[in-house]
Amino acid sequence: MTDVQTPTPPAPPVAVADRDSAALTLVRAFADRGTTHFTGVPCSLLKGVFRALEAGTGPAAGLSYFPAPREDSAVGVAAGLAAAGARPAVLMQNSGLGYSLNVLTSLNLIYDLHVPLVVSWRGHDAGDAVEHDIIGRELLNLLDVFGLRHTVFDPEDAYASVERCLDAADDGRTTPVLVVKEGI
Amino acid sequence: MFGIQDAIRAVTEKYPTSLTVSTCGFITRDLYNTVDRPENFYLVGSMGMAAPVGLGVALAAPRRHVVVLDGDGSFAMNPGALPMIAEHAPDLVHVVLDNGVHESTGGQRPVRVADPAGLALAAGYAAAHTVTSAAELAAVRTEPGVTSLIHISCAPRGAHAGKRVEWTPQQMVERFRAAAAA
Repeated sequence: MTDVQTPTPPAPPVAVADRDSAALTLVRAFADRGTTHFTGVPCSLLKGVFRALEAGTGPAAGLSYFPAPREDSAVGVAAGLAAAGARPAVLMQNSGLGYSLNVLTSLNLIYDLHVPLVVSWRGHDAGDAVEHDIIGRELLNLLDVFGLRHTVFDPEDAYASVERCLDAADDGRTTPVLVVKEGI
Repeated sequence: MFGIQDAIRAVTEKYPTSLTVSTCGFITRDLYNTVDRPENFYLVGSMGMAAPVGLGVALAAPRRHVVVLDGDGSFAMNPGALPMIAEHAPDLVHVVLDNGVHESTGGQRPVRVADPAGLALAAGYAAAHTVTSAAELAAVRTEPGVTSLIHISCAPRGAHAGKRVEWTPQQMVERFRAAAAA
């Protein structure tokens, strides 16, 4: 027996352009706030952001982007950039936050070199791949333990999300973290 | 054999105006006690990060020459940073002070990198040198504008390093940022 289903109108296609626009808006918001350099390690949830930065066009024009081999080294390079007067930001999957904790706690946080982090949130609900279960479950707790001020990115309100995130750390004594749950 | 503290002094005399990033532990303390200047950025933690931090400094201050003071232990901790540095070809000299021990933690044996100079070249550094004496170090002419590594084989201190850095991290950043912009 087959279920009789009411025909439903086809869902509006999720246009690539729509997904890109949240990513491009994110980049634009950072650029407008003075970010000069991006580095980091990719995550599939941040694909659109990396695509924009690699292309270096549109809102990413004039921004410097370069890949890092590991998230802790990305945070280290960003600390050096910030120490010498630039305005970097770091992109990573939440798995990379673990690698980064020593650099954050023994360099960025104690020198007040507060580099914004854009951290994807794999494993935020059950059903993601098993390697994301624990870090996904504990991500916000982990950020709280180290006083890393987090804002969950809203793709529908991308520009304001970034502004809220950076405003929350406007005192220059806090590292802001933009947490990205959905692929953008 | 070349003592590590003499090697640190020789490097600071060779590059007296360069922005200099030192790895944590005794190397930071020796640099501070040898010649404390605003151009020095002392890492007090984050072992393995002196070279990435040096790259960041070089990218933010492209008109300045940058020196990284690494140890053999901290170099072995983060060879993954080498190709990232090489990719940008910064005006940077990466010094590896190889005394063969983790001296600040009691003289334990580190992982040995057989050939730091060869590793740097394989990662894409334009030049690399290995020296074992003050005279050999003095003879090295690093080419301006290129990325090079100097592996200095030297002797442990056999003594305690000098006092800890007395600047707060925030003071260090403030004076370093001003020096980098000068």
